[in-house]
Amino acid sequence: MQSSTFYTRNKAYLLTLLGLGVVGFVFIGFMMIMDWEYFLKYPLHVILTGDTSGVLVEPTSNYQAMVNAAFGPSYNSIAPEIIRASNERQEFIWWVFVAEIAIFCFMYAKYGRKVAIVTNPNDEVEVFSLFHRAVIWLNIVVIVALIITGFNITWGMRSGGGDIAFFLRGSHEMLGLVWLPLWFAMTVIAFKDAKILFNNSITKKLILKGGYTPMKRVIFIVFVVMGAGLIFSGITIWYIHPDAFTHSEFIQLKRYLLYVHFGASVLIMFFLMDFVYSVMVAVKGNLKGLITGKYPREHLEQLAPDVLRDIEEKR
Amino acid sequence: MSKPEYARMKFYCDEDLCIDCNGCVVACKEAHEVPVGVNRRKVVTINEGIVGKEISISMACMHCSDAPCQQVCPVDCFYIRVDGIVLHDKDKCIGCGYCLFACPFGAPQFPQDGAFGTKGKMDKCTMCAGGPEETNSPAEFDKYGQNRIAEGKVPMCASMCSTKALLVGDSTEVAAIKTYRSVAHGKGISTQSYGW
Repeated sequence: MQSSTFYTRNKAYLLTLLGLGVVGFVFIGFMMIMDWEYFLKYPLHVILTGDTSGVLVEPTSNYQAMVNAAFGPSYNSIAPEIIRASNERQEFIWWVFVAEIAIFCFMYAKYGRKVAIVTNPNDEVEVFSLFHRAVIWLNIVVIVALIITGFNITWGMRSGGGDIAFFLRGSHEMLGLVWLPLWFAMTVIAFKDAKILFNNSITKKLILKGGYTPMKRVIFIVFVVMGAGLIFSGITIWYIHPDAFTHSEFIQLKRYLLYVHFGASVLIMFFLMDFVYSVMVAVKGNLKGLITGKYPREHLEQLAPDVLRDIEEKR
Repeated sequence: MSKPEYARMKFYCDEDLCIDCNGCVVACKEAHEVPVGVNRRKVVTINEGIVGKEISISMACMHCSDAPCQQVCPVDCFYIRVDGIVLHDKDKCIGCGYCLFACPFGAPQFPQDGAFGTKGKMDKCTMCAGGPEETNSPAEFDKYGQNRIAEGKVPMCASMCSTKALLVGDSTEVAAIKTYRSVAHGKGISTQSYGW
């Protein structure tokens, strides 16, 4: 019998927190050029006063007042980090994904691929309704397009700019708007824990079958939180189009939101790659299931008994 | 062999002389046929209406020596001439706006002419030095406006400034004028030079 300690029950959460904590500590402590006190005080100031100018302390001289009015205050609090992050995303971010792919290769070599033994392929069960499949596939298409058009900006040095890159950059903004309802629909249908709270006919019909393993729950939470961060920051940046005059009234807000956009995009990418590996590579049969919506009963019995249990209960 | 010395071109606006007439803004827009919604130059005023305390400065790209826009541009569309004028190539620009986030002066401007109102290609003050296109060609004028520097002329904004608050030229010369004015007025140098 497997021992059930606090660690084994919460291993996925603890290791995720440890990993994010170590990476966060190294970045915040040693790599980022950021005034963290300003970074924390600024959003509080915006929420409490509605003032986005970033002037947290009243100017004590004409020179300071002029700088605030003309350029926005505290240039050194966020802007240098935006410059550093932009440059390093061009040069080094590639290696983050290379490292992640290397981890997946190691896992594949060690654990292989789970394949269900199916003797009666005609005995199929519907797992994904047409609505589920539409939401999932539209999310996949739009997210892939957002990644391509987003990296078109981040890795602009590779393309060298020009009209195609310009078109893709504009598409990134529009696709972000398109993703808002899709992200929301995905958040609703993938909220499997909702069934613990509201187990009624609507949740049974609307929410995906089965329950979450701890790691899948972490991925879902990251998808929801970082997706919200990306959509809020992206749409706000897009909406506050720079006018012809000074940008001092909101330039600090835009810098702040761009930084949030950078951070959220890296984190969501990391966990989405984890999800794609665990669903598409580590287990055979999910791609066909996502296309047709149906799985052989034996596949579910062996690899996803919780999904089969949900379907049986519904009947 | 001694190293050749190039001019380091800079703007300087004397806030004691600027009267917020916006002549520089209009002159710039008129000379370069800058579209509505884009202001390469703007005048910023504080303490407006308070007698004795109201001050204004005219602002545009300050043509920084270590231009943050150049450092942050993902497609490397900026280049700095030997005389220090910071220019950009609109054929490369993808309109991402990173230069706006990095610029301490809010200089980069974006027309709202993309599909569904998205940003167009960045526009900014060229110190009337055009762009990478052939000098004084229609293509250069169309994208960047006049190239007055190539003709040996002063940038339009400074040439039209009625109070001569806005100065432009080699930084050594501009600094000398600023010092002369301060000494002649007996005030000393009251403030730092914005953006230097």
